[in-house]
Amino acid sequence: MFDTVLLFRDALYGALVIGLTCSVLGVYVVLRRIVFVGAALAQLSSAGIALSLFLGGYGLTAWIGGYPTVVSLVVTLLGAMFFGLGGGRRLISSEASIGVTYAVAAAAGILLVAKAAHGEAHDIFLQGNILGITRRDTLVLLGVSVPVLLVHLVFYKEFLFVSFDRETARTLGYRVDRWNLLLYFTLGVVIASAMQFAGVLLVFNFLVLPAVTGLLLARTMGGTIAWAVISALVAVAVGFSLSVPFDLPSAPAMIAVSGLLAFVAWMIRRMRD
Amino acid sequence: MRALVTFDHATLGYGRRVVLKDLTFTIHEGDFLGLVGPNGSGKTTVLRALLGTHPPLSGTVTRAEGLRFGYVPQRDQVDYDYPLTALDVVLMGRYDRIGLGRRPSAQDRARAMTALEQVGIPELAAQHLRNLSGGQRQRTLIARALVGEPNVLVLDEPTNGMDLVSTTQILGLVRDLHERSGITVLMVSHALNEVANYVERIALVMNEAFRIGTVADIMNETVLSEMYGIPVEVSAFEGHRVVIARRRRSV
Repeated sequence: MFDTVLLFRDALYGALVIGLTCSVLGVYVVLRRIVFVGAALAQLSSAGIALSLFLGGYGLTAWIGGYPTVVSLVVTLLGAMFFGLGGGRRLISSEASIGVTYAVAAAAGILLVAKAAHGEAHDIFLQGNILGITRRDTLVLLGVSVPVLLVHLVFYKEFLFVSFDRETARTLGYRVDRWNLLLYFTLGVVIASAMQFAGVLLVFNFLVLPAVTGLLLARTMGGTIAWAVISALVAVAVGFSLSVPFDLPSAPAMIAVSGLLAFVAWMIRRMRD
Repeated sequence: MRALVTFDHATLGYGRRVVLKDLTFTIHEGDFLGLVGPNGSGKTTVLRALLGTHPPLSGTVTRAEGLRFGYVPQRDQVDYDYPLTALDVVLMGRYDRIGLGRRPSAQDRARAMTALEQVGIPELAAQHLRNLSGGQRQRTLIARALVGEPNVLVLDEPTNGMDLVSTTQILGLVRDLHERSGITVLMVSHALNEVANYVERIALVMNEAFRIGTVADIMNETVLSEMYGIPVEVSAFEGHRVVIARRRRSV
């Protein structure tokens, strides 16, 4: 069984990097109650991939079709900027603007892929293909994840403060909008880089479920992040290892393990309290 | 007395919407001022202008050089689901002093413990925020405001949603802090009866009007009837002033 898994070890390493990075950022996503911003950004990212395929396939741009991640990154960062600056909350509620973004991005992704040259073959970009991750892809993922995690390590207390109590942070001179923007920017970068490999559902899973597990088990921020990371890595390792020999789709297998871990954490919390 | 914050013909509002016009008043060092008015009257707008987070539409709001505010937000503005202890929260009050990207030192922790002692809950330092009562949460937020060694302590609706006992304890604590250290206090509240018996001056914001004076100046029937737009009575009971709306007699 392990021999089969080892055949896909590059994919496993890539999935571990995605799980690790998304689970750290996911703690803020869950605590700030913006889980559907994660979903909307993931959907925007997939729409970006679809847009690049659509434009590239029709020869509208000479190079763009070869770099779907770049277009995806640009579209996702524009979305991250929009939500980071309040998501147009002066005109409509944040929830409504998240819903609109999610629905329109999902529909745009499907329509653009449908009309892209060889559309069906490109569906894989939207749904992700964990098993297709190569060593080079893993290095690219690491190249994105390491700086993002470093930013979060260095500015941990700043992100925590503006997330926990923005009004007080503002009175102490913090440029809250800029910190929010940086937080959303890191979120956008991670989602855009992970999306083409993991797909919307798995990215969304890693942004939410490990953080929920962490919050159920830990009493401190450090503990929450640690448990979130551990549960994401366990979900990847177990889900991946089971999916390959048993010929199961990898992403749903990892999500199922994440769900199981969150349930166990919930039971532990109930017994403890 | 040194002027800490001066509003000079300041008009406050958002975009084209004017909330309060032509405010002129000064907060001096050692003041204990209550900013009182009903919900939606513009108290928060005055507060934001004072803290410097929202500039006036016209006129000026001048703050003394090096002025530091210790801000205590409304309790429901804070999310108690964060996995933080009381000490973690208090430490946040020193984050700007600690500097970007640096971690709190042992000295910062010692100062945070002192602040918890000042508000009477040092034994709750390791308690999770979620497990604290309303009064204990409010004390934690006051400790966070104090740990930054502010010149002005600003409390936004500190007793909102509290029972009588907790209200009395929190207001007593704030007065105690003012009397012991001489710290300047601005307390924002919608409850005139609560605030009037603790502060030394009152600024009343109501129906786009603004009036400021000593408690004796403001807590009289003429001023209050004019500001509220209904006849009111001011009664005194064992040194405590109470404002009551005069009941209409049926004919």
